[in-house]
Amino acid sequence: MTDRPDGVPLPHADGPLAGYRVIDLADEKGQLCARLLAELGADVIKVEPRAGDRTRANGPFFRDEVGRESSLYWWAMNAGKRSVTCEMRLEAGRDLFHRLVAGADAVIETSAPGAAKDVCADARTLAKVNPGAVVVSITNFGQTGPARNLPATDIVGSAMGGHMYLNGSDERGPVRTTAPQAYAQVNLQAAVGAVIALYARGMNGGLGQHVDVSMQESMANAMDNAQQTWDILQINNRGPGSGRMVSGREGPRYIYETVDGWVAALGLGGLIGPNSAVMIDWLDQTGEAGPLTSPHWRERLSVVQPLEEGEQKQVVGVLQQFCRTRRKDDLVREAQARGAGWAPVYSPREIVESDQLAARDYWVQVRHEDIGETFVYPGAPWRLSGTPWKQRGRAPHVGEHNAEVYGDVLGLDADEVAKLRRSMVI
Amino acid sequence: MANKGSKPKPFEGLRVTDLSWVGVGPTVAKYLADHGAEVIRVESATRMETLRGAGPFTNNEPHYDNSGYFANFNSSKLGVTINLKTGKGKELLKRLVAVSDVVTESFTPGSLKKLGLDYEELRKVRPDLVMISMPLFGQTGPWAHYMGYGHVLQAASGFNHLTGWPDGEPIGTGVAYTDFLVPHVGALALVAALDYRRRTGKGQYIDFSQFEGAVHALGTSILEWTANGREAERLGNRDPEAAPHGAYRCKDGRYVVIACFTEQEWEGFRAAIGRPDWTDLERMRRRWSRLNEQKEIDRHIDFWCRERTAAQAYRAMRDNGVPSGIVKSPEEMHRDPQLKHRGHYALLEHPTMGLRTYDSPAFRLSKTPGGPTKAAPLLGEDTERVLKSTLGLSDEEFTELLVEGALE
Repeated sequence: MTDRPDGVPLPHADGPLAGYRVIDLADEKGQLCARLLAELGADVIKVEPRAGDRTRANGPFFRDEVGRESSLYWWAMNAGKRSVTCEMRLEAGRDLFHRLVAGADAVIETSAPGAAKDVCADARTLAKVNPGAVVVSITNFGQTGPARNLPATDIVGSAMGGHMYLNGSDERGPVRTTAPQAYAQVNLQAAVGAVIALYARGMNGGLGQHVDVSMQESMANAMDNAQQTWDILQINNRGPGSGRMVSGREGPRYIYETVDGWVAALGLGGLIGPNSAVMIDWLDQTGEAGPLTSPHWRERLSVVQPLEEGEQKQVVGVLQQFCRTRRKDDLVREAQARGAGWAPVYSPREIVESDQLAARDYWVQVRHEDIGETFVYPGAPWRLSGTPWKQRGRAPHVGEHNAEVYGDVLGLDADEVAKLRRSMVI
Repeated sequence: MANKGSKPKPFEGLRVTDLSWVGVGPTVAKYLADHGAEVIRVESATRMETLRGAGPFTNNEPHYDNSGYFANFNSSKLGVTINLKTGKGKELLKRLVAVSDVVTESFTPGSLKKLGLDYEELRKVRPDLVMISMPLFGQTGPWAHYMGYGHVLQAASGFNHLTGWPDGEPIGTGVAYTDFLVPHVGALALVAALDYRRRTGKGQYIDFSQFEGAVHALGTSILEWTANGREAERLGNRDPEAAPHGAYRCKDGRYVVIACFTEQEWEGFRAAIGRPDWTDLERMRRRWSRLNEQKEIDRHIDFWCRERTAAQAYRAMRDNGVPSGIVKSPEEMHRDPQLKHRGHYALLEHPTMGLRTYDSPAFRLSKTPGGPTKAAPLLGEDTERVLKSTLGLSDEEFTELLVEGALE
């Protein structure tokens, strides 16, 4: 091994995927997928053109300074990978890429169906180069079908995947989540497909295969029970505003304003149902239960029987008043103690400051030795007792690992690497 | 199964004891079931699975064998009932685990320990067991015992804060969002651990916190705070990087979405709406200056869409290469030609619910394809068969357990 400068991702020998190598050609639809494989122990090599991957231009940027090494998007999605440059439009670049693939277990790519063929990175070509490699192709609508070549971004995936119809309200229309969820979903579901295909090599004579992933379908899988509600009742669930939709019917609001923000309290916060007495008592202790303390209301709320609109309004009114003068964490603690599943509405800052995550020692510090800083990144999504998750370090610079990958992994000597540089392949 | 020919399934020969319930755990186990594992869903009528009591119900008849909600998460599984509160039930479960490769569970932390059925106990009967626990907040910490569903976990994990209009409430997505997000995170670790076991023979325990998994789907939001000291906010349908970017109401009341990130897409957009003068203004010519004009751009598009049906507006955009789409209703999803072509909704015959649609994985494996093969089990549908054929119980033993209430 060549000497590793400080901050460069280290191999992760302890993860469940240790020993695997993954080649990452992906954009927004596949970079998180590859990153998670890296954190599970795979050696992930990001292949970029000499000018750097297109997504390095995605904002926001560190201190708002635009540059190809300062994209927070790039940092978040590519942390812990190695980067090599390779011009796949050149024949020598394609040869080089194929040599990487020959030693890889998986390739993650996100080009439009058919387009990868132009640079010989399509599944069929790669299967010839390395029959053992799993090729994960992540696209907007999948490799086949009438929509396969249509352009899409996150919001299009949300819309055409049926998920967005279920968000928002009648008055203001559908809404998407500002942090891109079609991208998040397709990345995560592709990662599951990738590991299933890696696992399948064990019962398939060591052969890899093509994993054809659709962003539209990944969002279709996030429609809660709306799919079945149409199938069974021929009712379209739709965006319920701040309420909740239950089997095609709009239920009461589930978020309530507090002194310091909002809380989420589903099903009237537990004021209705078998637990209602305990909840009414809580509100009653400070004399804030209003009419709900009457025998009529106590009886009415003790059974799970949908409320009339007028009744609903009264209960919601009481709850709104009660929450408005209290802090969300206090409300949640007490509601949970009384057996009601409330949760605070947290912002990113509040998530970072969460007691629960602190108690679990969740966050990781990632050194950016290149700029002399250390930042907090999300930590282990799982604690595996035998093969721990591990954050591998910051995202790589463009071509940062050319020498060590082309040298140590492919075994090229210094002259050969220099030649590739001169001919502008790397 | 028949239409898939003789292609092998990835998890053939793998047996899973699925103790999980509601949304997340069953969806993780569904991945294994839909890809060939024998997944034995263990339930009890003494503590009925929540979703069996939640609609939509066929014929609008609330019954534990009629729930479409339950059915979709439990395709390709077998259904067994065991009352784990009885001594015989516990013993039976251990016998089942002894011949299983995987255990999945999503109870409140500590519940299985109380029953003497936690990982430490179960590994004694199956040393190479892979077991995953997946409650909302993990096995430890002050919130470990907190209860809730995906509707409120989406609040704790930032999705409410990031969904809605800037001048409005943090409404969140309209669904129990994390229930449809974190199963993929859980399944990833579980299958990775299975692959490790395949290669080394070693099992292990996975402590999965739904909350901690969900945070990884927040894009750049965490780093925006920790590196830039700035809070990401909900922006309605706008995007900090694209203009136009939004959902627009059309003449027929349906919505189209339009997203232009590149100058090429903007040119396509201009062509689609007939290159009106406003699109040629100096401040509209570059993306970075267009980002300051979103309000005006949206006003023009609203006006243009009001005179067209969603289908007309979408066609104009699509034919000019603009990333665009229709906000599809559940009904439209069922009729969508692309999803039909992909066979996304598997049609399976259920004994009481009839022919119903089930979600398929978002991916197709070329050599070892998966997908739902069997409708969800009735409550306890396979109890007798599994206990007799898999565990080798005699008729007498089975009847005895039945009479003693261990199989309720």
